[in-house]
Parts: sequence; structure tokens; C-alpha cells
Amino acid sequence: MTEAEIKDKVYDIIVSKMGVNKDQIKPESKFSDDLGADSLDTVELIMELENEFDVQIPDEDAEKIGTVQQAIDYIVKK
Amino acid sequence: MSEKAHYGLLKGKKGIVFGPLDESSIGWQIAVHAYREGASIAISNVAAAMRFGNTDELSALCGNAPVIVCDASKNDDVDSCFKELKEKVGKVDFIVHSIGMSQNIRKQLPYEELNYEWFMKTLDVSGLSLHRLVSYALKNDVLNDGASVLALSYIASQRNYWTYSDMGDAKSLLESIVRSYGPRLARRGIRINTISQSPTYTKAGSGIPGFEKMYEYSDLMSPLGNASAVECAEYAMTVLSDLSRKVTMQNLFHDGGYSSMGATIPMIKLAHEVLNDQELATRVGLEDFKPSA
Repeated sequence: MTEAEIKDKVYDIIVSKMGVNKDQIKPESKFSDDLGADSLDTVELIMELENEFDVQIPDEDAEKIGTVQQAIDYIVKK
Repeated sequence: MSEKAHYGLLKGKKGIVFGPLDESSIGWQIAVHAYREGASIAISNVAAAMRFGNTDELSALCGNAPVIVCDASKNDDVDSCFKELKEKVGKVDFIVHSIGMSQNIRKQLPYEELNYEWFMKTLDVSGLSLHRLVSYALKNDVLNDGASVLALSYIASQRNYWTYSDMGDAKSLLESIVRSYGPRLARRGIRINTISQSPTYTKAGSGIPGFEKMYEYSDLMSPLGNASAVECAEYAMTVLSDLSRKVTMQNLFHDGGYSSMGATIPMIKLAHEVLNDQELATRVGLEDFKPSA
């Protein structure tokens, strides 16, 4: 999967989980401050990323994923 | 906890509690109390809640209770949950439904502008899931005769509580499902009820806009004060026990008397304070409402 495809999928997940419009999402958007994620959203988002990309994201890594770009980078690296 | 009185009310009984998240959850307290009253129990929640909450700790508190991952809004999950329950625990004498969630509330959408996908999800997760639990419990022959099925409700099912949004609709559905199932389950002496509990500081409860003020208001309106999660669990023990064998299809108020009260002076004063809180008023769509002096 290319980085662009990953980015696309991550955006789709954010749209469906958090009910924001795609054009509201920017790479630097913070899940909590900019996209209105509460603590449960964050957990659900991480789990959705795990399912969608078939990766394991341990809690200590999950804590470091605060922005959309950080999520994309993490998936790309894996 | 250990020094508190217990009565062996559930001695020899088995059950499952759906939805405990952390120790603020009513479901958590019900699980702990049921274990203390002598029941062997299993615990169930969705995968996200397991990761988010503290289910392992609860399992340890309840004699290493089996933990079953299950999304109560999915037929297959519920089906396999009861198969696993039967295998690990056996047939049960009670099911506790402590499940509720509204994405519309979490995102604070005004009632007039609910996201319908989320609305359906609220109804499904918080209401229909009770039907699903009972339905698959029957299909898998998991319920003993005389069992007790208990779900948790809130008075917003019957009266308007502005900020409770689509959860009020979900609780109406929940209470209606209890009535619809009642006579059908009664053939086997199985009871089904809801407890309508005071507002309670749980993870879910505190997500409701203006919750603290609603809590205060309710406390001022309740002659005995708001009931806590622990008190709710204590009451629930009687509903799960054989001491309430002829109680079914009821919405049992456990609210310090709130539901029978009219108005009190301190409550009216508090209402004025809430309405004069501009930030809260805006959040609940009352920014244009000015109470007269």
C-alpha cells in the first residue's frame, strides 16, 4: 500500500469514527483538540487502524499518536 | 468492601454482567456485589471498552470471573458470547444489561440535528441490545427457569431531559422491550425489569453536557438524595435474588424519591443559576432563553 493510499484510508476512518468532514482533516490536525476526539474515540480509532491495516499498536505507541500525520507515519513504518 | 454486610442472597446462582467499564460503572458495582452475595459470574464488554477500561481488575475482584468480549450490537458476537458463557459458567440465573452509548451526546449535536447513523447506533447499542441478549440467551438455552434479567434505565425515558438527547429515546425503547418480553419470559418464571437510577457519576454519565448541574438538581429534588452506583448495586441484588420472584415488567425507581417529587425552592433557585450560565446555555441550545428575574 502506498503512503497516499494509507493516508486516504486513515482519513476515511477518521470521517466515519468522528463524524467530521474530510476537508476538515489536515495532516497536522490533533485528534483531541482539532477533531474533537474524546478518550474513547482515541481508543476506537487506534483499534480501527489495527483492524484496517492488520498491525498491533501497543498502548505505549498509541499514546504517542496525537496527530493525523503521526498515525499515517506509524502505519507506513509498520 | 469486605467489612460490609452481605446476605448470601445469590448463593449458588450464576450470572453475567454486560458493560462494566471501570469502578465508577454501575455494572462494575453490580458485578462486585453479586460476587460478594455468593454468585459466580462472567463479565462482558466490547473490545474497545476492555482496552479503555479496567476489566481485568474487575475479573480479579470477582474470583477470576471469565471475561467475554462481545459487541452487544452484533448478532454473531452475542450468539458466540452465550455459547462461551454456557461452556465456561453454565446456564445462568441472571443477566445484567449495563450498556449504553450515544455518539450524538459525545459529540454534543443538538437534538434537532442528530446524525441518524449515530442515532440508530444509540438505539441499537443502548436499547435493541437488550432484546438481542434475551433472544440469543433463549436460543442458546442459557437461562434457568426463574432467572432475572435486569437492565439500567433513567427517567429521561418518560420525561424530557433536554441534554439527554437520543439516549432518552433509547431508554424508552429499552423499557418498552422489557414490557414486551415480560409475559413471554414469565411462562418460565423468568423476570425482566429495569432499574431507573439517579444520575450517576460514571464515564458514560459524565459525558452528558451539564451533567454536574443535572446531578445537583436531581440531588436537591430527591428527599433521600441521589442514589450512588454502590447503592444501585445493593438494590439490584434484591432484584436478582429470589426475594423478588413476582416482580416483572417493572421500571423500578431507585432515585431517592426523585420521581415522585414536584418542586422545591432550592431546586428553582438552581434552575435559574443553570439558565444564567451562558456557556452551558449555549451548549444546550438555550442561549436565547432568559429566565425572568
